[in-house]
Amino acid sequence: MAQQETQKQDVRIEQNQQLEQNQKEQPMPVIAKVLIIGVVGGIFWSMLAYCAYFFHFTELSPSLVLQPWAIGEWKDGAIGNIISFLVIGLLSILVALLYYALLKKRQGIWPGIIFGVILWLVVFYALNPIFPQLKAVKELERNTIITTICFYILYGVFIGYSISFEVTEMRRQKQAE
Amino acid sequence: MPVQNHIPISSNLKENEQFFKDAIGVGTSFDLGVRKLKVLKTDVHLYYCNGLCDTQYIIKLLEILVEANDRERQTSKVKTVIENRLVHQQVNPIENLDEAVDFLLTGLILLFIEGETTAFAVDVRSYPGRQPEEPDTEKVVRGARDGYVENIIVNTALTRRRIRDERLRFEMLQIGERSKTDVCIAYIQDVANPGLVELIKKELQEIEIDGLTMADKTVEEFLVKQGYNPYPLVRYTERPDVAANHLLEGHVLVMVDTSPSVIITPTTYFHHVQHAEEYRQSPAVGTFVRWVRFFGIIASLFLLPLWSLFVLEPSLLPKNLAYIGPNEKANIPILVQLLIADIGIEFLRMAAIHTPTPLSTAMGLIAAALIGEIAINVGLFVPEVILYVSIAAIGSFATPSYELSVANKISRLILLIVIAAFGVPGFMIGVTAYVLFLVNIRSLNTPYLWPFIPFDPGAFMQILVRRSVAGSSIRPSIVHPQNRQKQPT
Repeated sequence: MAQQETQKQDVRIEQNQQLEQNQKEQPMPVIAKVLIIGVVGGIFWSMLAYCAYFFHFTELSPSLVLQPWAIGEWKDGAIGNIISFLVIGLLSILVALLYYALLKKRQGIWPGIIFGVILWLVVFYALNPIFPQLKAVKELERNTIITTICFYILYGVFIGYSISFEVTEMRRQKQAE
Repeated sequence: MPVQNHIPISSNLKENEQFFKDAIGVGTSFDLGVRKLKVLKTDVHLYYCNGLCDTQYIIKLLEILVEANDRERQTSKVKTVIENRLVHQQVNPIENLDEAVDFLLTGLILLFIEGETTAFAVDVRSYPGRQPEEPDTEKVVRGARDGYVENIIVNTALTRRRIRDERLRFEMLQIGERSKTDVCIAYIQDVANPGLVELIKKELQEIEIDGLTMADKTVEEFLVKQGYNPYPLVRYTERPDVAANHLLEGHVLVMVDTSPSVIITPTTYFHHVQHAEEYRQSPAVGTFVRWVRFFGIIASLFLLPLWSLFVLEPSLLPKNLAYIGPNEKANIPILVQLLIADIGIEFLRMAAIHTPTPLSTAMGLIAAALIGEIAINVGLFVPEVILYVSIAAIGSFATPSYELSVANKISRLILLIVIAAFGVPGFMIGVTAYVLFLVNIRSLNTPYLWPFIPFDPGAFMQILVRRSVAGSSIRPSIVHPQNRQKQPT
């Protein structure tokens, strides 16, 4: 009796193991990919924007994002810039989720471009009061305006194109199954 | 599509002979001929095309055929006897004269028998050609040194040596009204995306053209609808190991007869910046080589425009980089110097291709002396211009794909002109427009800047860091393969 029972148990364990072996590896859910796109996009483009600031293409550095918080003078130095990259990366998660909620079904690069431009308008006009050192748009140099708009457009296309591509791929894989 | 006249083979040999004389010039062309013999008291005509067939095999065939007169008993089933005695593995019976003409002109020999409406085509082809040798443009320091040749049969054999899987498929098509070039689609059946294979087959079958003399380039233009886009939308390779690697990843290859370059579809920008050599070294060394190559390509694209921007507006430079910029006054505007130097490098390249080897040493000396010392002494160039143009030129030679290096050169020239006209806004808007242009390109349903935009973290890491082959067990998703696990788990 005991032997039969252990034999049955062995068979059941084997079956469970087989089932687990055959389980397909779960693909990353779309939301996780959106988050990664957001973080990487924010960090990468803010680093490039810092290079543009280094060569005086624009008078605004990414450490702008740290200005609303009164945390001391070091926020304009090297460490401040690195932290500002990370902060922008985190903020970019929200932006990516916003895009995902609103525009994920649109194809092509134009939704990303328009998204980037609208984001620029929001940051430079609507959110202007939050950044004490940010001058009004009229007082900014032409180089700065054009450089920042270009970066926002590229960032918008990065986020938008990646997200709509992920969504179409996911849909196609579901159809193929 | 021309009307297919299926003229049946006549049982009267003289009628057939007349057809061949009128239609394809047997008797007029010196390399097409007919051999008349008698086998078992029946007339047999053998049509051949000199140069495309192997005489040794034909001699052996004729020997065995004529032996029938001594060995076999007289019988009415001459056709069966002859078919049995055609000692070759590939014998096709044919019923129509136009099929016969097609076979004859590719080098097969035809045997017509008096009183029969079926003829036999025997494949004794032997094309003149070279042995597999390492391609000039894809050399590696360590690795296989064979490369594709102009004969499509040899190319298929070289590929099959590396992939012996039973699911490897080579589908042959004939394209071109007058050239009837053999074009072969290669893929692995359970890996490649069937939709992609169908799409390529459909595009190829719809090609209506006189002849494919410039072989693969013409096929590519029909396949990807290039237009005036300078960026290459397919990848070429002349190495069988690179081609086999792409087949295993799920790409579909197009091989064209008479061309040693094989077309790899679909491709992205990042396929063009990788080279076989990185896989012949250990992962760390391969990654290092890859990064050096990336810097070279970025330099070939952005170094000259950035430098000219800093020369035009020195206030852009931070204090510790203020030494950048020409020290002496230039006689000609910097932009013009850069354009002349860039176009001069193009001249050098063209001269190097067209010069026969005995003259190339002399040419090299003239070029070095001219551009180097004399141009500076005359006052035509500032030394800094030559330095930066040389760095950009070396960067563009480091680009593995030749087509990409030329396309980058064109983009660089356009950026230079835009910067000279508009300064910093020109640079930013130019770079943005350039990136958007690349993002917008789609070839055969694949975005051109994948995996950068649209971003795919796994695949992008694989491009940045060359992973060890044992570690990369997933095929790149952009080719939409059917099964994603490379190795059995």
